[in-house]
Amino acid sequence: MSDVVAPRRRGPSVAAWLLLPGAIWLALFFVVPFYSLVATSLFDPNGSVLSGYEVTWHFANFSDALRDHWRPLVRSLVYAGIATSFCLVLGYLLAYAIAFKAGRWKTLLLVMVIAPFFTSFLVRTLSWKLILADNGWVVDALQAVHVLGPEDRLLATPVAVIAGLTYNFLPFMVLPLYASLEKIDLRLIEAAQDLHANPFVAFFKVTWPLSLPGVAAGTMLTFIPAAGDYINAQLLGSPNERMIGNIIQNLFTTTGDYAAAGALSVILMALILVLIMTWVRKAGAEDLV
Amino acid sequence: MADLDRRTMLKALGALGLAGASAAVLPAFGTPDRRQDPASCAAQDLSASDPRLVFSNWPEYIDEEGENGEPSTLQQFEKLTGISVSYVPDVNDNTEFFAKVVNQLGACQSTKRDMFALTDWMAARMIQMGWIQPMDRANVPNLHANLIDSLRGVGWDAERDYSAPWQSGLTGICYNKRLVPEVRTMDELLTRSDLRGRVTLLTEMRDTMGLTLLSDGADPADFAKDDWDTALEKVKKARRAGQIRAFTGNDYVQDLEAGNIAACVAWSGDVIATGNEDLVFVTPEEGLMIWSDNMIIPNLATHQANAEKFVDFYYQPEIAAQLAAYVNYICPVKGAQDAMLEIDPELAESQLIFPTDETLSQTHGFMALSESVMRTYEGEFADVAGS
Amino acid sequence: MSQAADGSRDLTLTGVTKEYADFTAVKSLDLTVPQGEFFALLGPSGCGKTTTLRMVAGLDTPTTGSITLGDLDITYAKPYQRPVNTVFQNYALFPHLTIFENVAFGLRRKGVKNVAQPVEAMLELVELTSQARKKPTQLSGGQQQRVALARALINQPEVLLLDEPLGALDLKLRRAMQTELKRIQSEVGLTFVHVTHDQEEAMGMADTIAVMNAGVIEQMGSPVELYDNPRTAFVANFLGRSSLMAATVKEVTSEYVKANMHGTVVSIPIERAHVREGSAWVGIRPEKVLIAAAGTPIDAPGNHIEGGIVTDVNYVGVSTEYLVRMPWGQEIGAFAQNTGHQDILPVGSQVDLSWRPEFAFLLDSDEDPNAGKEEQA
Repeated sequence: MSDVVAPRRRGPSVAAWLLLPGAIWLALFFVVPFYSLVATSLFDPNGSVLSGYEVTWHFANFSDALRDHWRPLVRSLVYAGIATSFCLVLGYLLAYAIAFKAGRWKTLLLVMVIAPFFTSFLVRTLSWKLILADNGWVVDALQAVHVLGPEDRLLATPVAVIAGLTYNFLPFMVLPLYASLEKIDLRLIEAAQDLHANPFVAFFKVTWPLSLPGVAAGTMLTFIPAAGDYINAQLLGSPNERMIGNIIQNLFTTTGDYAAAGALSVILMALILVLIMTWVRKAGAEDLV
Repeated sequence: MADLDRRTMLKALGALGLAGASAAVLPAFGTPDRRQDPASCAAQDLSASDPRLVFSNWPEYIDEEGENGEPSTLQQFEKLTGISVSYVPDVNDNTEFFAKVVNQLGACQSTKRDMFALTDWMAARMIQMGWIQPMDRANVPNLHANLIDSLRGVGWDAERDYSAPWQSGLTGICYNKRLVPEVRTMDELLTRSDLRGRVTLLTEMRDTMGLTLLSDGADPADFAKDDWDTALEKVKKARRAGQIRAFTGNDYVQDLEAGNIAACVAWSGDVIATGNEDLVFVTPEEGLMIWSDNMIIPNLATHQANAEKFVDFYYQPEIAAQLAAYVNYICPVKGAQDAMLEIDPELAESQLIFPTDETLSQTHGFMALSESVMRTYEGEFADVAGS
Repeated sequence: MSQAADGSRDLTLTGVTKEYADFTAVKSLDLTVPQGEFFALLGPSGCGKTTTLRMVAGLDTPTTGSITLGDLDITYAKPYQRPVNTVFQNYALFPHLTIFENVAFGLRRKGVKNVAQPVEAMLELVELTSQARKKPTQLSGGQQQRVALARALINQPEVLLLDEPLGALDLKLRRAMQTELKRIQSEVGLTFVHVTHDQEEAMGMADTIAVMNAGVIEQMGSPVELYDNPRTAFVANFLGRSSLMAATVKEVTSEYVKANMHGTVVSIPIERAHVREGSAWVGIRPEKVLIAAAGTPIDAPGNHIEGGIVTDVNYVGVSTEYLVRMPWGQEIGAFAQNTGHQDILPVGSQVDLSWRPEFAFLLDSDEDPNAGKEEQA
């Protein structure tokens, strides 16, 4: 009879076995590269790809990188912030409509939100290049209503870059928002109305607070990749709109300055981490993180 | 209370331990010196028993299929020698390709290729690192006999022991004559007001800065830091003024054709390839840049003799002419111009495929740079140009 | 907090109908809830009681008809414009707010500045002062129910609607809350409209009950009226239990109606006979049926039927519930209180049944004798 109880105590539990593949994956593709990146940021800047790099704990790499490249760094955070805000407004409206007003069209609308992902990120951004071309219909239309001057253009401006970022990351905002809104019990809204809240007040006092976990998740999923993005700036912007992703890419590939590139990468990572932690605390979604 | 202290202590110790272990492990992520010796890092040549060849080249750089039922140069080579060529157009960018092979070449491992074609400065770098095998002069007589004079000796390969130019190209200015009047000099490109915001420059530092140095009267093949600084300042100024729309790779052609830009720094072959009459390639008055993509054989290639046969084959004038007729870049082979009369007399007259000596005298190559100097110049240029 | 019950603010529904695409939930409902009364809407699920409640709350709009509060027409008013508050079935407490904030919600929306005092008073009323800082998920079901009540009451609505608020509670707690609600209602003096499917609950708490079935009110009146003198088979079966036996009216006098029920002539007082001729159902509640072994004299003789055989005995502690098969095949229920005077009759015993005529009622034969009965488990 005691045999029935004992086997439970021996060996690692089922949970440990299930976690193992994920842990190995994380170790291989996150932990090791992370260490590699930190090491790179501490390389002797006088080394090179050809002559070899040595980890010399050269912390000045960080200050040098910041001194040289703080402008694109700030610009990236600003662009990502603006794009995330646009995504939040647009995404919230869309998610709200799908969650509460769509009825039987819900699944179709969700599929349409995800559909752009069936094509590659690069191809979609390139198509934006075509749409916003100087002699394309968008620029023509805007010039016709005098929003744009006859000499103005959209491509190679911050407008195009931010628009590209917003477009590319919108689904990342819509889906978590939808998931959060969907869970809201409609009877809570009814209760709010019963308690003398008109629809607007009911939204701000009940719906919005209850959707905050989705807002937090969506903004994180949007802001983090947008801050490090380089495709949009490369294809839709001019050198004046370069983001930190472009800089890092350049430092790694063309210039071959690994130490600076590594230092910038670590700085970017740390900045984003700090921003996210403060945001999460503010949004009260600690259980997410 | 004691328990709490113990737990906190253990946590702190654990954290310290993790930090210590991390610090200890970081130096292991350093990278090694990648210098090699071609003499010692060579593989046995299997060409005699194995009639194959793996060749990596740029895209659109060879006539793979014949035209009008005629066999292509590649097909002719295969038929003549019985060697089956695995032609892989996976060189899109020098730096990108470098990243593909650096680890193997740096560690004396096979790149699984017998030959690839890279631009001068990258070929120079690889030769300096000892990653390239010298070619047996006896096996490539046509190369040494027929190479055009202006390409005979270059600073980084004076005797052409290691490299054989595949095609050469000119970097100059292209403008859309339907949109703007003629653009004659680099200065016009960088300062003319009707071109504001409709100009692109190349991200390839040697091309853009080479032309800019020429516009200052400096010699790109031999310049000092001061010359560099002045030239770079000129580009910076143009950028600040909003003259330059973007710094591009070879995607400037689309923008040119779409009318997004009116003038740019361009490669000669790209302009001819568009077939667009409105796009005119101009030799800037102060001079222009010439560059070559060179065939080089990496360490541990296993079909060296076959590769040398390939090089020798393409240095025959008739073959070179047929190739040039398709690729539209500068043909490095003497006598090909005459052979071209048979194929396409119009092309035989083209300055961009068979430049006259006069034109060639206006061309300049870019100085070979040491690693640290290159880092500085590339870095400073990248700050201005981005990607 | 008590409001003068002068009838000026009665809740009146006139001809209220709610039609959906494929069915009608409420059919031309007419009812008046006098001010200050505890009113129950009783009926099985799907009868339309919740729909009616939602229309009074403003969460649904009637297809036709009108709803007035005194002379204030609130038929189309938005829920936040009505002096009506609801205690929801699932409580619908705001999970992101504390108990204090939940209760304060309505007051804040109305612009009340100093909410602390009324909220604390209300929390005291429902005995939840110590839980004020907690969140709803940290409370038990019973506590949540009280918060929902407090949250609605604090707004001093003219009508408080309760949508099966006790459904999720266990028996003991439910009993306690029923007493609580009744106490609060009489203390505060508001009009309560309580929707439920539990007839014991309705009968215990309400001043007036309206029994609803398939969108219409079958009968409305005090619990005693409804229980004692049901007018339809549905009401007879839904409230408590009844046995309905087929009969034919024989004679009508000024005081009685006599009917022939399977050979026995039974009398029903005239005011309890809802049909005067033809076929009818004689109804009697099992606790009114006296049972004794065949041949023995029955305590209070009235209508007397012989020839029954006990087929089931259910000892419930307080009483013993017998099922007796009558000679015409029907099983009649007879509940005997276990006073100790009579031994429990075993299954198979031959028994006589009897009841006093003033307890019987006569229903129209059109009535479905099974309407309102509980579903078989």
